[in-house]
Amino acid sequence: MAAAEAKKLSKKRKAAPEEETSAAPPPSAFPQEVRLEMASEDEGEDGDASSDDGEVDEFPEIDARSDTEDEEEEGEDDESEEEDEEDEDEDEDESDASDESLHVWPKPKTVVSDITGQPKRVYPDIEPDYDSDSSTEDTPNRVGNIPMHWYDDLPHVGYDINGKKVLRPARGDELDKFLKTVEDPESWTSAFDKNMQMDKPLTAEELDIIRRLQENENPDANYDPYEPTVEWFTGKGKEEIMPLSAAPEPKRRWVPSKWEKQKVMKIVRAIRQGRIVPNKPKTASAQPQFYAIWNEEPSTGPAPPPAPKPRLPGHAESYNPPEEYLPTPEERAQWEATDPEDREREFLPQKYSALRLVPAYDNFIKERFNRQLDLYLAPRVQRTKLRIDPDSLIPKLPSPSSLRPFPVYKSLQVPHADVRVRAISVSPDGAWAVSGDESGVVRLWEVIVGKEVKRWTFKSKIGAVEWCPRTDVSFFAVGVEDHIHFIIPPNLPGPVLTATQNILAPANLPPPPANPSPVKWSSVPAAQSSSDTPILTLNLPSSPEPPKQLVWHRKGDYLASVSEGQGGVWIHQVSRRHSQAPFKKVKGTVQLVLFHPTKPHFFVATQRYVRMYNLAEQTLLKTLTPGIRWISSMDVHPSGDHLIVGG
Amino acid sequence: MGRLKQKGKAGAAKAYMTRSAAVKKLQCSLADFRRLCILKGIFPREPRNRKKANKGSSAPTNFYYAKDIAYLAHEPVLRKLREHKAFAKKLSRALGRGEWSSAKSLEENKPVYRLDHIIKERYPTFVDAVRDIDDALCMIFLFASLPSDSKVSPTLIENCARLAAEWQLYVMHTHSLRKVFLSIKGVYYQAEVFDQTVTWLVPYQFTQTIPSDVDVRVMLTFLELYQTLLGFVFFKLYTDAGLVYPPPLDPQKDEGAAGVGAFNLQEAKPNQVPSAAAKSKVVEVDGKRISSKDVRQTIKSISASGSGDADVEMPSVDAEAANDEDEEFVEDTTEENPEDAPDAPAFTTATLPTLKTLSTLPQSTSSKLFAPYTFWLSRETSRPIFEFIVRSFGGRIGWPATSGSGSPFDESDESITHVIIDRPLVQRPNETEAEKERRRRRKYVQPQWVVDCVNAGKILLEDLYAQGKTLPPHLSPFGDHAEAYDPTAGLVGGEDEEMEEDEEVEGDEDVVEGSEEEGTARPAKSALKAAASAEDEAALRAAELAAEAAGIDYGTFEKEAKKAQKKASKAAPAQEDEAEKDMNKMMMSNKQRKLYERMKHGQKKRAEERQNLEQKKRAIEKEKKRRAKSS
Repeated sequence: MAAAEAKKLSKKRKAAPEEETSAAPPPSAFPQEVRLEMASEDEGEDGDASSDDGEVDEFPEIDARSDTEDEEEEGEDDESEEEDEEDEDEDEDESDASDESLHVWPKPKTVVSDITGQPKRVYPDIEPDYDSDSSTEDTPNRVGNIPMHWYDDLPHVGYDINGKKVLRPARGDELDKFLKTVEDPESWTSAFDKNMQMDKPLTAEELDIIRRLQENENPDANYDPYEPTVEWFTGKGKEEIMPLSAAPEPKRRWVPSKWEKQKVMKIVRAIRQGRIVPNKPKTASAQPQFYAIWNEEPSTGPAPPPAPKPRLPGHAESYNPPEEYLPTPEERAQWEATDPEDREREFLPQKYSALRLVPAYDNFIKERFNRQLDLYLAPRVQRTKLRIDPDSLIPKLPSPSSLRPFPVYKSLQVPHADVRVRAISVSPDGAWAVSGDESGVVRLWEVIVGKEVKRWTFKSKIGAVEWCPRTDVSFFAVGVEDHIHFIIPPNLPGPVLTATQNILAPANLPPPPANPSPVKWSSVPAAQSSSDTPILTLNLPSSPEPPKQLVWHRKGDYLASVSEGQGGVWIHQVSRRHSQAPFKKVKGTVQLVLFHPTKPHFFVATQRYVRMYNLAEQTLLKTLTPGIRWISSMDVHPSGDHLIVGG
Repeated sequence: MGRLKQKGKAGAAKAYMTRSAAVKKLQCSLADFRRLCILKGIFPREPRNRKKANKGSSAPTNFYYAKDIAYLAHEPVLRKLREHKAFAKKLSRALGRGEWSSAKSLEENKPVYRLDHIIKERYPTFVDAVRDIDDALCMIFLFASLPSDSKVSPTLIENCARLAAEWQLYVMHTHSLRKVFLSIKGVYYQAEVFDQTVTWLVPYQFTQTIPSDVDVRVMLTFLELYQTLLGFVFFKLYTDAGLVYPPPLDPQKDEGAAGVGAFNLQEAKPNQVPSAAAKSKVVEVDGKRISSKDVRQTIKSISASGSGDADVEMPSVDAEAANDEDEEFVEDTTEENPEDAPDAPAFTTATLPTLKTLSTLPQSTSSKLFAPYTFWLSRETSRPIFEFIVRSFGGRIGWPATSGSGSPFDESDESITHVIIDRPLVQRPNETEAEKERRRRRKYVQPQWVVDCVNAGKILLEDLYAQGKTLPPHLSPFGDHAEAYDPTAGLVGGEDEEMEEDEEVEGDEDVVEGSEEEGTARPAKSALKAAASAEDEAALRAAELAAEAAGIDYGTFEKEAKKAQKKASKAAPAQEDEAEKDMNKMMMSNKQRKLYERMKHGQKKRAEERQNLEQKKRAIEKEKKRRAKSS
């Protein structure tokens, strides 16, 4: 029986290696082993078990093995016939099994070959019958290679060949499993059979295969890696005498190559012509050859600028300098404290009594290196050196002493009340001065004595006061709020007073202009006029500030006034009692205006520019740019050729 | 409407290039770029506006002219550097694979660049090259004195030493050395070659070590250029002087540490001169030499007739030199100037001295200052320095065998006139008569004497420099800037003040000494002070009366009053001027004012320096006087 089993196993040798490599134990091996013991005892129960398979399956107590036995029985019957045929082999098999029980593979026979006379191994033939196919072997469960968890919640685990359910074998709980591992000595050599859903012990052969795999050996126990070489085609007496092919030998095997010859000849020719020097002198030993490089004409281009030469050493660098060059202890300490880059001198002067005592200069290489860094890393700028006396840079101005006489001391100081004086003007004869302050008080002063002669009080602060430049008449204009008042000072001699009154308040008024201006001229008749009130008043268009400047033309007929805002410039003609605004719009805020002394020209200063207009032609003549941020004062030379502007 | 101007398409943005952009454009490593810059003499430029040049970025970078970089892109050396890179790769691969034979053949065909074209490019004319050899000479002399190590190969040092010796030989041969200065750093020499002053610094003979913060690779790259440059310059100098370049080296003498003497200058045979141009040049040079002698003689005669009294310090040197002209000539031909002999026939063929040759004449008349003398170097003095100086000025010099071989005579030679000795004086009781005699005949001087003679252009009195004496200070022949402190001049401005100070000191002493005089001394002083402060006549008279009352004699009063008035008058206009100047300064533009301030600052600093030195000198002299008085 055992022999038969072994034989049967041998037939499945092809399938075996595949199964061994997989984790699952070979399913076919186990039942047979078991059956070896059980066949005799449970023979009788076979029929019952097989008949009521379905009913009993439910119970876990039922021994699962009984199911498998049924099928095995059937298979065995078939096999019995085969055994007879293989009798001749069996003899050997039995003997082999006894001494090599672990053998899985079919044993080969060693036969002396008829042809070669060498011993050879002969393996038993494989019968290609139904049984030889391992896939059709006696696994009772025929579900195939499917995930077995499909049957997890079913009482059976698959179907046998007859379509009957294969019941799930009873499996103990964890405690049973543990007890089994303790009690059963074979439990550690058993593996879980997925198909049958139960543990099955491994056969000795399988264990042997596992061991071999673990030890990295060939799983075939019979494999001999050190087989003697068998020389089939080589060796003595086995030389090949006859050619393998009858083709004639090609020409290229024995004719020298034309192309090779061409290549070689190319090199040969190059060597002959001297293009290739076979044993060229080594480059390392080649010394630079010098020749008269400056013999041919230099290029016409300018030479690159030479590097600046380092400074030549002074007395301080001498090995034996005059004693005054030696640093004092303070100087030495200071030198040592400063950073090497910030030092004025890179060395400290030292004195040696003899040349033999002079040591090596320890910064020599460092200084040379720094010089080279300067040569190739420092940006160079060509700069023309100024050899001028710095004082020649100062512009020559006339000495103040050559401008004498000029006022050098204060001759008179007139105390004024606490308010700020906004404007002052001196009469053309220089005897009188008039001042206007912020509180709206205009005072007349006698210059020589400094005495206040008269005062006029207005409602708000005085913007400007200007004396008329005519000498035959005497009056001044005062800019307050939106008005310009013309006032005649007191104590005038008779003819001057009448002349003045005639000008400011003539008996017969000049005809009103064709296009009336917004400025109203209103005067008090000469008879009623006094020096207490203004004789003539101009009402300017309303403005938040009083007129900030009043300027008379030199002839005393025209008066220009400057107020805040656009169109703040007005020119008033006293004789015609007419006012006009020369500019509709001025770019920028007008700071100052000025009449040209001789020509009908008019200067207007805005913050930055001075514009010069011709009033007769009404054109812009020039724009002067003095380059001052804010022009604050301006005057014209009496000749009219020069304008002086201050900012 | 014109085309819109795009930013960064013109102007500074195009004209300048940052360093990283340049490296990127040239496709070389930074080290190669540095090498190229050094060799080609390309240096960074400072753009007028850094922001515009760097496309709006104000990051600190170096700028180069874009054109410079464009020229660099076509540089053959750059191509060679690239080839070298490929070669290095191939070689390392061959070595890595152990293919020794292919590595060897690669090594044999290593790409090597030459710098000839760069020399010609950087120095189009020879004079340009001569003008720029200062740094080259300094480096060559430095490396000639360095020990060789893993970075600095011995062949390099050998080559540097050879070049240094060649230069010294040329200077000695042409007597073109002008000034020498012994500084604490080394010895500065100044020679005049082709009308260019060439100054170089030679370290003292000590072993130098390269500090760790110095990049040797940079120095070696410079040295590469300098070696080539000097090779070409020396070739031209030697051939123009009618000599063979390179001068053959006598290995036996070199073994014996003969130094410069190991080379022997060889006269180039006229038929050996390859080109006609070179020949004509040689002739011209010869003509120059002859004519220079003539010119020198005439100058000498003029100076002798003009200033006969100036020779107090130089006893008979000039006369001797003038008389010895022929003698010296003969001596030269026999001894170490064999080149003069073949010059004689050239005299007949000499061309007239052109303006150029005249201008290249040595300006100084003292180029053969030491010709009548024979020197002996004592063992402790540095032979290379003094051999070079003495021979450059036509003297003969010998040295003991311990200083190297090749001395033309030994110590017992009768012709020795001076011994250069640098050790303290010792008594020698057991001296033989001959030695004593020899001692008497020879003059023993300290090394500084030689250098000071050279710088003064005449033979100075030896007594000041005699062995064991305290040396007078050694001054720089190059001088300082114009208004710097001059240590040779006496204190001019300070004399009066000094006297005054002395008087004051004495006065103080009086006060301390005599307590009974105190009563008179104080009113006297106050009277003098009143005189000093007196401004007008009346006040002066009043002060005079007060002084008389105090018992001061009229002489001292007058002197004091004058001094005070001078001081006052000096101070007043100065103040006025200052005020006026301040007023004028307001009219200056900003730029001008800054320039003015800078100039004034410099002037002030120099004046301060000068004042400081003068003050120190005064203090030292006072100290000396006091010491002399006390001793």
